[in-house]
Amino acid sequence: MKILHLYYDIMNLYGDYANVRAMERMMLKNGIECSVDRLSFNDKAVLSDYDFIYIGSGTERNRNVVCEDMKKYRDELKDCIDSGKVILMTGNSFEMLGKSITGAGGDAAEGLGIFEFTVSEQKKTRNTADAVFTADFLDRELVGFINKCSEIEGIDKPLFGVKMGLGNKNDGREEGLRSGNLFGTHLTGPVLIKNPHFLTYMAKLVSGADTELSEEHLKYEKAGYEITLKELSALNG
Amino acid sequence: MKRLLAIVVCKILRVVGKIVGKGSSLPGKFALKICPDVLSRVKLPEYIIAVTGSNGKTSTVEMIAHVLTQNGKRVAWNKEGSNQIEGVTTMVLCNATLSGRVKSDILLIESDERFAKYTFKYISPTHYVMTNLYRDQLTRNGHPEWVYDALSESINDNMQLILNADDPLISHFGYGRNNVVYFGADKLSTDIKENKSVYNDGAYCPHCKKPLVYSTRHYNHIGHYECKSCGYKRQDTAHAVTDVDLENGRMTIDGKYNITLALRSLYNIYNLLAAFTVGSAVGIDGEKIASDLSDYVMKNGRVVNFNVGKRPGTLLVAKHENSISYDLSMSVACADKRGCDVLIIVDAVSRKYFTSDVSWLWDIDFEMLGCENVHEIVLAGTYCNDLAVRFSYTDIPQEKIRVFSGIEDAYNYLNSDRDEYIYTVTCFSDKGKFLSLV
Repeated sequence: MKILHLYYDIMNLYGDYANVRAMERMMLKNGIECSVDRLSFNDKAVLSDYDFIYIGSGTERNRNVVCEDMKKYRDELKDCIDSGKVILMTGNSFEMLGKSITGAGGDAAEGLGIFEFTVSEQKKTRNTADAVFTADFLDRELVGFINKCSEIEGIDKPLFGVKMGLGNKNDGREEGLRSGNLFGTHLTGPVLIKNPHFLTYMAKLVSGADTELSEEHLKYEKAGYEITLKELSALNG
Repeated sequence: MKRLLAIVVCKILRVVGKIVGKGSSLPGKFALKICPDVLSRVKLPEYIIAVTGSNGKTSTVEMIAHVLTQNGKRVAWNKEGSNQIEGVTTMVLCNATLSGRVKSDILLIESDERFAKYTFKYISPTHYVMTNLYRDQLTRNGHPEWVYDALSESINDNMQLILNADDPLISHFGYGRNNVVYFGADKLSTDIKENKSVYNDGAYCPHCKKPLVYSTRHYNHIGHYECKSCGYKRQDTAHAVTDVDLENGRMTIDGKYNITLALRSLYNIYNLLAAFTVGSAVGIDGEKIASDLSDYVMKNGRVVNFNVGKRPGTLLVAKHENSISYDLSMSVACADKRGCDVLIIVDAVSRKYFTSDVSWLWDIDFEMLGCENVHEIVLAGTYCNDLAVRFSYTDIPQEKIRVFSGIEDAYNYLNSDRDEYIYTVTCFSDKGKFLSLV
């Protein structure tokens, strides 16, 4: 099993790196050999070599620099998405996959153009919120946090439904982007740690769906999830 | 007329507020409703010193106030730490005569980073101290560059900027500017070569986004840096910590001014240096400042000694959602050669707003508690499970760790006949829950 943590040193704003560690541990605890490559600007990864690719969130300026650099992977990445590789992009990283990102100053930067959506940012208000999302592929909700300054137009296939928090449009009920095994969400930080059921789901995709994975090591993760879900549900009435 | 009314209302509400125990921002809020630009309509003193930054604001302001008052200056300052425009308005108007003249020699303002642009639209500081920009309360602040952009709107050309040269992001406010005073630390014996933290906000140049190279690091991204691509680098300092000896509690500024430390930690050293720099800027003799700051014990309740049964301990206030404050507080425990147990409490993330976000736990260098001076680690509070998960990703043996959701249960566990000194590391939001037990 090979995991790629791309732009690990710059797209790591909210403890995002923990997602990679969670996936790695899930594999190792289940007796699946696993290695992680952490690569950045000066590296040239062969994306098709990996079973799981992860990119986390960054500041708007850092994300723009990364987006420029990502263009070297554009066609390779599109092939990976089309062929069903498991990819997780959290925070503002999946915004790079669209047609354009218009910054607060009105300047539009070209995205990777793998999808048709467009992103527009502003710098007046930071849009932050605790979140409870639903997913049609999971039997329980997801908990997490949104921290962004953008809105997205033109996503046909969202990843999550918004029960609480912010969507692709701030007041929208749809969040993120799903295409095959590509999962893009504005949830920030250790999403796979906070949602052990999502980790198990993703790990099954990565390891091959037939394997039953042990969750025995996720005791504290599960307890933490229940408490957060309870707190957020109480808040939501 | 409006100004007079605003001042009178503010003073009355403040008196009433003090009696009923209300905070210091409400009077200012009403005053601003009556007269929105009241701050620009009062006659201000010659010196207006402002302090902002992620960490160390309150302590630095308290030390500056101490130095200034010790040297005969009359200082008006926001003691209660209400650092948004309403709190500053309360402080200014309560210190003003009815004719609108502030009755002090120096106005000293602690300002929230994101709201400084509103306050300083009306009051322009003559001296503007910026301590650092760290990952701090990101659930509200977004991220350090977001705060940088908000802060940049609070600066004008007339201000004397006083910047921490060792922080590449805050120091960038001085880029292309002439009237800047920098403070920082020379290479210290406690320096590290590599960033040992779990993340690195000094990896890339804030100016051009190419890699930053460090010749020495004091901690995290604080140190001596240079960008080989665009040439952006740490600036020479007007005042510097030239030597520090944490073990014996001493520091030296500019090679000759010695200060004995009431609190032996690196963050305290930066606060002291910032206070020294401000004291020098208003013309106080270095020798005098150093003696005023020596052994100065903060009154702001961020370090509290206690006993759990027969066991003595110290509570070090860190800030939840602020990994560097945790790192620096925990390093005090790690340095204690007597051997200690460490209690960490995360019960409410904030006292001012609700969030259940604990992603910041992953930015804290809990790995350091694996050191030999730390014997047992007790995790407590609503988020004890999230803490336990985070600790499971360190190399610390699980048998060193105890987990309790109830703070009282953790207290009862610690109330034993163990010899170890206890360090409690937690936030304002949770410290009372522990201190009420001891």
